Amino acid sequence: MLVYEIMQGEKRIIAGVYHLSKKLGRHFALQDISIQLANGEFAFLVGPSGAGKSTLLRMMYMDDIPDSGQVIMGSYVSTRIKRSTIPQLRRKIGIVFQNFRLLEDRTVFENVALAMKVAGTGLTEIKSEMADILTRVGLYHKRYEFPGSLSGGEQQRVAIARAVANKPAILLADEPTGNLDPIVTREILELLFRINSSGTAVLMATHDVELVRSFGQRIIYLQDGKIIKDKEMLFRGNLRDSISDSQVDHRARKFTDHRIGEDGNGTRRG
Amino acid sequence: MSGINGIKYILGESARMLKYRKISNLISVIIMGFSLLVLVIFILITLNVSMVIEKGMEEMCVYVYLEDGTSNKINEDIRTKLLGLENIKKVLFVSKEEALKKFGERLGKSSEILEELSVNPLPNAFRIHMKPECTTSVFMEKIAQTAMGWDGVEDVRYGKKWVEKGEKLVKGFYMIGLALGLIVLLSVIFVISNTVRLSILSRRESVEIMKLVGATNGYIQAPFLIEGAIQGVVSSLVAMALLWAACSFVGRYMPGLVFFRFEGVVGFVVLCAFLGSMGSFIAVRKFLKR
Ligand SMILES: Nc1ncnc2c1ncn2[C@@H]1O[C@H](COP(=O)(O)OP(=O)(O)O)[C@@H](O)[C@H]1O
Ligand SMILES: [Mg+2]
Repeated sequence: MLVYEIMQGEKRIIAGVYHLSKKLGRHFALQDISIQLANGEFAFLVGPSGAGKSTLLRMMYMDDIPDSGQVIMGSYVSTRIKRSTIPQLRRKIGIVFQNFRLLEDRTVFENVALAMKVAGTGLTEIKSEMADILTRVGLYHKRYEFPGSLSGGEQQRVAIARAVANKPAILLADEPTGNLDPIVTREILELLFRINSSGTAVLMATHDVELVRSFGQRIIYLQDGKIIKDKEMLFRGNLRDSISDSQVDHRARKFTDHRIGEDGNGTRRG
Repeated sequence: MSGINGIKYILGESARMLKYRKISNLISVIIMGFSLLVLVIFILITLNVSMVIEKGMEEMCVYVYLEDGTSNKINEDIRTKLLGLENIKKVLFVSKEEALKKFGERLGKSSEILEELSVNPLPNAFRIHMKPECTTSVFMEKIAQTAMGWDGVEDVRYGKKWVEKGEKLVKGFYMIGLALGLIVLLSVIFVISNTVRLSILSRRESVEIMKLVGATNGYIQAPFLIEGAIQGVVSSLVAMALLWAACSFVGRYMPGLVFFRFEGVVGFVVLCAFLGSMGSFIAVRKFLKR
């Protein structure tokens, strides 16, 4: 299946998981999972601890390979991607974790700058964009502080700033509020909504059903490695109703428009 | 990422590793420095002993004794023919008078008895010094066989027993040296690779984070390679400096002691730089593999 074929209505599918199964140890951590995420969409991935949320996200940022099935992120296809191409994918998506995963020996500025440097951005450009990036997460005044001196909520904001610094088409968040108290949790959620409204699709995993129910966003329920309910049920159609009517975003087009292997990197697994 | 930004990134990362990991680097350099010190002490001892042995071997010569009363022409013929042989470093003429004088010197006080001799019983001779690597019984025997049949040659001798003993000594020494050297080298590699691994283990989380934000393996490894090379240079310099200090102290009591030549020191430092970065490369690569 080629990416440019996966368009439904006017919406571009920027991330898709198709009949994915993964065994970890003896039993299936994921079993025949299919999900599609459209450009600019916001979805919660909800399920109890051990349901397979983290495993699914890991498949999506290609930290692991499915036993069967396929993951398609933009123009990157799990069954064809070469190990050496995975860093390219990582630069085009954002990832956020429960435990923040910041470099403790670097300031807020340096942590965010690292993601940009790795993507090939020069220091001049990094400096000129940093004010905007850090202001969006409300931490510009703390740019020279180290993660150790920040609160949990602040650290997660830094992690989010790092994740969106390269203007990704999609942000994957694995229990981003898992370590935070209810008030800070709300703030982080609001930040994720704001990021989403600026054009980045967000898939946020959480075990907290109560937290996410009230927002009216798409919720994908996962249990024992299976999808037990998906508000949109993409494979039965009607994607168009579910997504706000924002126009197809430029960055999503950039993320999906390369045809497979067209970039000369031969995204084919050797 | 490529080009100028890539190079800037790598240099920046390397600089920050050196800056923020002072303690860890210091510990690594101390451990490596002392391991390398053991290695260079061993090499230097081997070098000195082998030089002593070689000097001893060089003194082993082939003597071509001439018949009594050979003409100058015959002598010159023999000299020319000897010089035409392979594996020879130099040929010296030792006249019977010279030989007697030397003999007398060797006898010391009891040389008085020589004065009572009415004729000099010693023959004229050529003393042949072999090329250092050819001071073996095989080559010397060959010369003896050849020269034996020549006109005017009375006898050829070369202290067969001594040469053979010397050969055995050299062989034994190099075998033991090689075995010990291998053990020392392996321990040094073991210690250093563990030091590198520990130091990289402390960076495991950083490496994982780098991967998550999309750094390629090359860019993750490069700063470690540079760090490893610098550690190699510094620790080998430390080892050499300590050895030099020890040498100049011991040298007061052992005047013949030689130190490495300048090129040797430079070569060792370059080798350690290479080994340091190789060690880092291997250690990080293990980690980058999933
Ligand atoms: N490395 C592993 N080896 C074996 N089983 C694992 C491993 N990682 C996760 N699992 C199992 O896979 C299932 C899904 O785990 P996970 O994706 O972490 O769930 P969640 O993130 O929803 O809490 C769980 O049953 C877990 O025990
Ligand atoms: Mg999890």
